[in-house]
Amino acid sequence: MKRSSRDSIILYATVVLTCAVLVFPIYWLVITALSEPDQLRQLPPKFWPDHPRWGVFGQILAERPILLWLGNSALAAIGAVTLSMVVSVLAGYSLSRFKVRGGPSLGLFILTAKMLPATLLVIPLFGIFRQLELIGSLWSIILAHATLIIPFTTWMLKGYFDTIPRELEQAAMVDGCSPLGAMFRVILPVSAPGLAATALYGFVLSWSDYAYARTFLTNAQGNWTANLGITTMKGEYVSNWSDISAASILVALPILLIYLFLERYLVGGLTAGAEK
Amino acid sequence: MSRSAFLDLARPSRRHWLGYLLLAPAVLLIGLIIVYPVFVSVDLSFQNVNIARLDQPRRPFTTLNYERLFASEDFWNACWVTFKLVTIVSFFCFLLGLSTALLVNNRFKGQALARLLVALPWAVPEVIAVVIFAWMFDSSFGLMNWVFIKLGLVDTTINWFSSPPASFAVVCVVMVWKGYPFVSIMMLAGLQSIPEDFYNAARVDGASAWQRLINITIPSLMPVLGVTLVLVMLWVFRDFSIIYVLTGGGPLKATQSLSIMTYEQAFGFFKMGYASAIGVITLIVCVIASRLMISRAPDNI
Repeated sequence: MKRSSRDSIILYATVVLTCAVLVFPIYWLVITALSEPDQLRQLPPKFWPDHPRWGVFGQILAERPILLWLGNSALAAIGAVTLSMVVSVLAGYSLSRFKVRGGPSLGLFILTAKMLPATLLVIPLFGIFRQLELIGSLWSIILAHATLIIPFTTWMLKGYFDTIPRELEQAAMVDGCSPLGAMFRVILPVSAPGLAATALYGFVLSWSDYAYARTFLTNAQGNWTANLGITTMKGEYVSNWSDISAASILVALPILLIYLFLERYLVGGLTAGAEK
Repeated sequence: MSRSAFLDLARPSRRHWLGYLLLAPAVLLIGLIIVYPVFVSVDLSFQNVNIARLDQPRRPFTTLNYERLFASEDFWNACWVTFKLVTIVSFFCFLLGLSTALLVNNRFKGQALARLLVALPWAVPEVIAVVIFAWMFDSSFGLMNWVFIKLGLVDTTINWFSSPPASFAVVCVVMVWKGYPFVSIMMLAGLQSIPEDFYNAARVDGASAWQRLINITIPSLMPVLGVTLVLVMLWVFRDFSIIYVLTGGGPLKATQSLSIMTYEQAFGFFKMGYASAIGVITLIVCVIASRLMISRAPDNI
């Protein structure tokens, strides 16, 4: 379709304006981080600081235990994703390839589990973890995050395996592979991009959690995750918005980077299991 | 015979012990960390317990928690707050999500970048989104007060987080900003599945852009729209982090949704039985909504 140049200008103007407004809060976060705290207490606000303090990130890393928080978040996410992926790869493959009695209803159940409110699950999990003496340990949120991740990853992977032709396994088995061998040596390597996207999606889910970390880890400062740490900075009597913003950028960065890689696969992740 | 006859994955009836074996770890883990806790919580909701101690004997069965709940003003207030949130936030998420999707679905140079930017808030963790907006709506030096005064909308600074309607509005703004990219992403996927021929045929028949939108785009998006709507509503319904970190449910319970009330009762007042009762009610709503969605979902998206 050919567009007149007037239409083109209107289209571009609308696109630029829309993107500017919607992304502005992220821009403002960066500007706040780069501004001197004194400058933030002046009106009118400056939309670009006179002397951007690029050193703020190094400074905040030195002053606050942010690396520790990021490390805890990463450990929890890696633990939860590994645990979830192991069970989801096997279950997703089974749901995709085998006719198992109760398989479809299990699939439906997992789908419903995706809709469980965390505020309901957090109460019994608190009781269970206290009995197991896991409160305050990263294991508590690894297990809790698995409840968030497994329903997603199982459906995402089932959907992904469904797109891989069955002839691949058949060929492998004709060549003398066992069924398990066909899965591990043929299907999983072929599925590497799907597996990676799914794992990254799980990572995002775990990294973004606040409710479970707040409940299980509040009294264990050494195990605070990034999100929990940020909220304690926000709760301080005098909020230093400049420092909080700098710390927030560091916390959001991994997810923003993942988003850039994941964008193509995002739809699959978001709709995982939305189809029957 | 080769093994392929023993397990032919291409055959429709492929029942095999391996299928069960592969499911076993998932079933076991889901049973332990999802099913069992849900049972515990339903069980707790029928006991008069304060602190959830699983090592102590079960208290006698009682429906007291539910009776107190239905008689409590706070519960109905939370229901009303949740209802308002779900309606308002879902509506604006759809408005913004659908219009941004239609906008970047046009072909132009830089389209890939525009799509990336339009959905960018999806990639900002909820807690960080709260930090951003808490600062923008800061009562003394926040940007929004300055903008509102400059635009002549208000005379003096608004104390966003001490006025009930104002803090409710801020909660809505944050949730819409976090929620619309999801709608946008889903709609873009839906838009791409509409065959170009439909539009060409309509153009030949002389349909205007508006007519094409109403007669082709919207009806073709309907199945995806339905699923997306339910998913967005459920997300708002269940969300905890945004409200809890932004306002904690206040001021004067103006932003206390059912999720916040559940959490407050459980971990603020340690009334685990009572909190579980609220949780069970939210669970029932979620299960009904997701079942509705599943039964209406299109075969593939």
